[in-house]
Amino acid sequence: MNALLEVDGIDVAYGRARVLHGVSLGVDTGERVFVVGRNGAGKTTLLKTIAGFLRPLAGSIRFDGHEISGRPPEEVAREGVRYVFQDKRVFTKLTVKENIEIAAHGAGVKLAVAIDRVAELHPPMTRFLDRMAGTLSGGQRQLLLLGRALLGEPRLLLVDEPTEGLSAGAIEEVFEVLERSKGRVAMIIVEQNLGVVRQLAHRVYAVKEGRIRSELRPAELRDQAALEHLL
Amino acid sequence: MSPAAASWLRRFDLPIIAGLFLLLAWAFSLHRVTDFVIFCIFVLSYDLLYGYMGRLSFGHMLYLGTGAYAAALSGGWLGGNPLLALAAAAAAGALVGLLLGPITVRTTGACFALINLAFNQVGHFIALIALARWTGGEDGLSVTFRPVGPLDLGDRRTLFAFALAALLGAVWLMRRLTGSPFGILLRSIQQNETRVRFLGYDVFRAKLQAFVLSTSLAAFAGGLAIVNYSYVTPSFIDPTRNVEVVFATLIGGAGSVYGAVSGGLAYMLISNFLPSYIQRWEMFLGFALLFLVFRFRAGLWGFLLRWLGPRRTEQA
Repeated sequence: MNALLEVDGIDVAYGRARVLHGVSLGVDTGERVFVVGRNGAGKTTLLKTIAGFLRPLAGSIRFDGHEISGRPPEEVAREGVRYVFQDKRVFTKLTVKENIEIAAHGAGVKLAVAIDRVAELHPPMTRFLDRMAGTLSGGQRQLLLLGRALLGEPRLLLVDEPTEGLSAGAIEEVFEVLERSKGRVAMIIVEQNLGVVRQLAHRVYAVKEGRIRSELRPAELRDQAALEHLL
Repeated sequence: MSPAAASWLRRFDLPIIAGLFLLLAWAFSLHRVTDFVIFCIFVLSYDLLYGYMGRLSFGHMLYLGTGAYAAALSGGWLGGNPLLALAAAAAAGALVGLLLGPITVRTTGACFALINLAFNQVGHFIALIALARWTGGEDGLSVTFRPVGPLDLGDRRTLFAFALAALLGAVWLMRRLTGSPFGILLRSIQQNETRVRFLGYDVFRAKLQAFVLSTSLAAFAGGLAIVNYSYVTPSFIDPTRNVEVVFATLIGGAGSVYGAVSGGLAYMLISNFLPSYIQRWEMFLGFALLFLVFRFRAGLWGFLLRWLGPRRTEQA
């Protein structure tokens, strides 16, 4: 496989508080990489830095051979990197259809095609197209966000805690969407649900106090004790 | 509003608006109703910023005034051609928007409101004092417009028809624009600018485009007002008058083309006729605004939609 993303020794700080210390990781084309760690370990900061929201103090982030560290989010997004936030915030005062349209237009996909693609991921979504997105359940919002993010064939998806706060049924649906996208798009997923990590991960990075503590290969993921030890 | 009702409204909105203003023109003086029409265009321009992009400005009179002075000055220089004066007004508004936009659109909330107010103060000073030699200072400037072929905007009926056509054009344009991906983009920016950036959009460019469009339309309204009045004074650029367009937008309901028109019309009816009955009519406006804020946040248009909505559902 080719290295799609190479994060090399990045340091990131909020003001004077340094959050990431020399973090390095790599993601290959189509690979699903999970980042696990306790709250405050720096997982979300890592995703935000890759997405261009934060500028690293040191180190480099190379995407498909190009340096992207410090570039604004819109430019990183145009390179083919999409970010699905943790808080599942859709544009609540837009309809579901408009939520899809804004992403479709940005990705250069026709609206009808975009609606079909989102419906492929979650067929009931077609019934809600004219509803305000603020009225959707947490699971439906997450599926809408994932559907939107997958428009325009992105090459890397950054997903922050996709199953957090969802019901068992909704987790299963999100799980299916992530599973169905296997091989089509590389992903970095921050996740606390070890069941999901075990079933979907090609590789796992454990982050502790802003540093990558360990990296597990797929064969090692079957060992539950090792995984729980990381957290 | 149900999709069927929305579709019906989109098909017949322009005739309804035209009919409403024709009715008013029949009931009141043409000069006054032409003023109403022009103010509605101004409110439409403001609503693009406030209602769609979520930027409350206390300095929109600057752009109306820019258009007014540009029309008056160019009217004198270009032989009194009203069409060229209007084109100059819109171009001047766009130019000022292009100059100030890169500074203002980077800001949000109170900062955006106040920075626009500050620029408005500067513009007022320039018109009143710094360029008084050209603008006429406190006395203002008179201008006479001549007919262009068969189009005589000096004739009250022709000017009313022209202004009404301009309003209908502005409504059509705003409806198209706000329903387009660009309009959805503006409403998304209003809700969460950061998220929009992660979708790959250059939000600065989108905000600047909307700002320039808004300033240009406001300036066009200012130019049209000068064609109606034939003179310009510093009151056209007076920052204390910003409250008028803010009130009108809130009364009608921000974020709706029809809300802007109904708010503009309601404000003009109140400010034109209420003083005949109530001495301190501004106090009534204050109470009306309090009432709106607490009871009808969506304004007249929003109230009408809510009132129609459940009934339609019951019928269905």
